[in-house]
Amino acid sequence: MEFLDSLILGFSTAATPTNLLFCLIGALLGTLIGVLPGIGPTATLAILLPITFFLPPLAALIMLAGIFYGAQYGGSTTAILVNLPGEASSVVTALDGYQMAKQGRAGAALAIAALGSFFAGTVSTIGLAVAGPTLASFALDFGPAEYFSLTVFGLLCATILASGSVIKAIGMIGIGLLLGWVGTDVNSGSERLTFGAVELFDGIEFVVIAVGLFGIAEIITNLESPETRGLIATKITRLWPTREDFRKAWPAVLRGTGLGTFLGILPGGGATLSAFSAYTLEKKVSRRPQEFGRGAIQGVAGPEAANNAGAQSSFIPLLTLGIPSNAVMAMLLGAMTIHGITPGPSVMHNQPDLFWGLIASMWIGNLMLLVINLPLIGLWVKLLTVPYRLLYPAILLFCCVGVYSVSNRAFDVALAVGFGFLGYLFRKAKCEPGPLLLGFVLGPLLETNLRRAMLISQGSPTVFIERPISLVLLLASLALFILLLVPAIRKTREDAFVEEEA
Amino acid sequence: MTSRSKIGRTGNHPDLLAGLIFIVVGALGLWGGRDLRMGSAAMMGPGYLPLIVSGLIVLIGLGVTIMGLLRSNEPLEVVRLRPLLIILLAIAGFAYAAGSLGFIIAVAWLIGVGSLADPETRLREVAASIVVLTIFGILVFILGLGVQMQLGPF
Repeated sequence: MEFLDSLILGFSTAATPTNLLFCLIGALLGTLIGVLPGIGPTATLAILLPITFFLPPLAALIMLAGIFYGAQYGGSTTAILVNLPGEASSVVTALDGYQMAKQGRAGAALAIAALGSFFAGTVSTIGLAVAGPTLASFALDFGPAEYFSLTVFGLLCATILASGSVIKAIGMIGIGLLLGWVGTDVNSGSERLTFGAVELFDGIEFVVIAVGLFGIAEIITNLESPETRGLIATKITRLWPTREDFRKAWPAVLRGTGLGTFLGILPGGGATLSAFSAYTLEKKVSRRPQEFGRGAIQGVAGPEAANNAGAQSSFIPLLTLGIPSNAVMAMLLGAMTIHGITPGPSVMHNQPDLFWGLIASMWIGNLMLLVINLPLIGLWVKLLTVPYRLLYPAILLFCCVGVYSVSNRAFDVALAVGFGFLGYLFRKAKCEPGPLLLGFVLGPLLETNLRRAMLISQGSPTVFIERPISLVLLLASLALFILLLVPAIRKTREDAFVEEEA
Repeated sequence: MTSRSKIGRTGNHPDLLAGLIFIVVGALGLWGGRDLRMGSAAMMGPGYLPLIVSGLIVLIGLGVTIMGLLRSNEPLEVVRLRPLLIILLAIAGFAYAAGSLGFIIAVAWLIGVGSLADPETRLREVAASIVVLTIFGILVFILGLGVQMQLGPF
């Protein structure tokens, strides 16, 4: 009963005209930018984040969630129609989706992707609504020691699931932590790592880092490679999949949903990992694996369902524990903090309308995407024909005004230039910026909890192993770390990411 | 995947660059935090974690550099200075103009200079972009969202 009441509360909060409107705007804007090749959900969120600061907290979160799902959907459209996955999670969609498009079945691929995603979104929204309260009440008993261990565990998981070298990812977390500590120390009042710049006394704005590392660096990298856009294979004549398509696709959607929901909960997980795992799974269970890569509809249905389910369920650790599991969730955490909300178990108790409203709006957002995407596909396809040289100046403008508007300071824009350059260097050095963002967001949390725990224990680190939950989390972190040093496992991990890049 | 070039036969260049970045950032952290009090584990001073983490980053940087020297050759991806410098210059100019010259000049500079990053850009398109985006920006950002920036220099 309580569950039903919560859902009713959620839908009544989310379904106000204003919130519906922002959900729609978010979904449309997200799709719009997500369709553009080369700009994935992380960059899309970074660029559009500042716009939402002018809204009330719930409307802002709803819009951001809409942007996120929209960008995911948009990515699939590009992957299928022009073989250019907008982000990592739709790389596998391009494999079979583009082949289907070449065979004149683009419509069926797009429809199955949209329907599968909607189904997965619905299931994992319910999952979030059911699992959320349990996890949150569990987390209410967390003290500083548990939170510290949880943060460490979350950061380590993010390292492992980041592609590329582990040691580089750890270094990136370190840089993120340092950046998070820039500013005035709350405990002692001393200025830290500000190099005497008054502008830095309040710390670095989250948006400056996000826009610099993801938005600006992405524009520069895109401009380095000449435009390579495939032509749209055929006209989309028939949108609705055949009965045969449905028969093949629905078991894949079910498997993808289950897998994605589970993988999304894991720290560091989320859409990309879910999509890749689902594709591998479909290939394994298929009786005709040779069809994969040549237009197998299961190869579109499974991963698309999985990436949406994963995207959705990665909200669980953020909303219930306050620990973001990937770069996108770090963005949302940043957004929540700016609105004065500290995500974590207390949100559900103190602001149930916010928590349940957001969950309900996720489902509404998914429904909207289904409704606006299928009829509007022609429009999105047209957008793909706009050359990048006309698009990027507009994106630049969004980045600049966005950064400026956070606190109406030109200094922030200048700082973003620096982060844009740094982000560019990171790309050349093959360092993923995701872990840095997580470190930045979690740095203050990590320090506060470590300080508190050590203060309580009078400097004895045993506090972390005396408390059972903390001990389990630390042991899990240790196990993960050791696993990474085992050569065989490292090899499989590398292979997995090589496949991803192929 | 790795294209072999004549220049730089040894070492993994992305790794070397990463190592260098880590060492520089870690060293900056150590230098910037040199006056901070460390404190003890029980009463951590403001410098406790920043200095430890900075030190660790330097160590990681050294490790990555050594590994980069030992690993097989991999050159850097192509670096083109034109988009890099022009985009950064365009945004820096925007930052300067936003503080003193107002929104219209800032946008004109950003779009005008920024457009040069793509060699295929045509003058007429740039002019059109400036007009359209300036009007769009004023309507959406200044009037719609209430971003506080003067329109002109006065």
